[in-house]
Amino acid sequence: MDSFCVFNLNMGVQVRREKFGLLFYNYRGPRLYFLPSQNLVDDHFFDGTQSLSELVNTIHARHHWPLSWIEERILQIMGQLEAKGLIHGQSIC
Amino acid sequence: MGNQYVEMGLSAPVNVTWEVTYACNLSCIHCLSDSGRKRDGELSTGEAMQVIDQLAARKVFQFNIGGGEPFMRPDFLDLMDYAHDKGIVTCISTNGTLIDEQIARRLNHPLVYIQVSLDGASEESNDPIRGSGSFKKVLNALDHLRSLDIEVSVNCVLTRRSYPELDKLVKLAASYGAKLRVSRFRPSGRGKQSWSELNVQREQMADFSQWLSRHLAVSTGDSFFSVTTEERRSLGLNMCGACKLTCCLSPQGDIYPCAFLQEPEFRAGKLPQDDFGIIWETSPVFDSFRQLEIKSCESCQRFDLCHGGCPAIAYHTQRKLGLPDPGCLANCITIKSLPRMAA
Repeated sequence: MDSFCVFNLNMGVQVRREKFGLLFYNYRGPRLYFLPSQNLVDDHFFDGTQSLSELVNTIHARHHWPLSWIEERILQIMGQLEAKGLIHGQSIC
Repeated sequence: MGNQYVEMGLSAPVNVTWEVTYACNLSCIHCLSDSGRKRDGELSTGEAMQVIDQLAARKVFQFNIGGGEPFMRPDFLDLMDYAHDKGIVTCISTNGTLIDEQIARRLNHPLVYIQVSLDGASEESNDPIRGSGSFKKVLNALDHLRSLDIEVSVNCVLTRRSYPELDKLVKLAASYGAKLRVSRFRPSGRGKQSWSELNVQREQMADFSQWLSRHLAVSTGDSFFSVTTEERRSLGLNMCGACKLTCCLSPQGDIYPCAFLQEPEFRAGKLPQDDFGIIWETSPVFDSFRQLEIKSCESCQRFDLCHGGCPAIAYHTQRKLGLPDPGCLANCITIKSLPRMAA
């Protein structure tokens, strides 16, 4: 996964923000996936307009957490969501 | 299912059961909504679109469409197109009798899922419940849907009469590339009158529970979690989702906790006049429903599997919320007979 990657929802998948993080809905089932990510990732991230590195920098600017920790956590989340068939990444360079 | 996250309170329902009209060309003896004629005050096309706008803005993912018979609304397919344009998935429950080739073509959309109803695997078993000629018409509809590869399931309401037909219904559905889905019979609408005659006996409910664990591909969708066995634990809900994951929109725009509790005391608001977000977040009806605890069930060994079962069935049979589901697996063996419902 490169840092210039953007992510989009797979066909039939929707997402919205909830108190615990993100709630994914997959028409093809299993219907619901609860991602307890708190406010780390916004649902608009999956519009594909922001790259992974931009997301990491945005979180860093907002919370001042160590960049390496943010990167690791975000990569873990994206890997989880890809493995569940909810999103796909594509390189923009 | 992430129960702990659901209990934190979702910003909107995952799905809304929308009964789009009371009009129906059949008069099934177990109809939960007493459908037949279109009634005064049903949402106009413009109002229905405003409702869709409101629910889409809250990011409701799915509509479970029912009625009445949805296709009795002349604007029905236009409303579905409008919902699909906003990314909302529609699961349409229909009696199937009005689906011809032309309608099937319009239903051929990636966000559409169809359920057609059958309560028996032959004319002899189905038509006395759903109406003369309905069986043949449903098979025609299934032919049209199959020819276009549209995802469809056959839905059967579990009654004393349909129970012996389940194996045959599984085979019939499979012959059309469909799965069987079994719904629970509830004593609302015309179901109040036919409850004592049609509701499965306790021994049958216990047998049905075992049948379900042998047929994991059969879906139940709604509240059979009261008879869920360990084998089906991962397949769906283990608690009532009303006011937490779902709610119901009536043909007239009234909002209720679920399709089976459309009683004046459970009315939470009216669309499109009221703001759906405010109803969802602040309605005292919804709030009290979310706090509902079935205390007498908490010590039961099955509590983790059903959390007390379906409150609507408890309400309709005992006129009170917060009581155990009378059809739960433990009750199938232990409770006394319920008094017969008044006709």
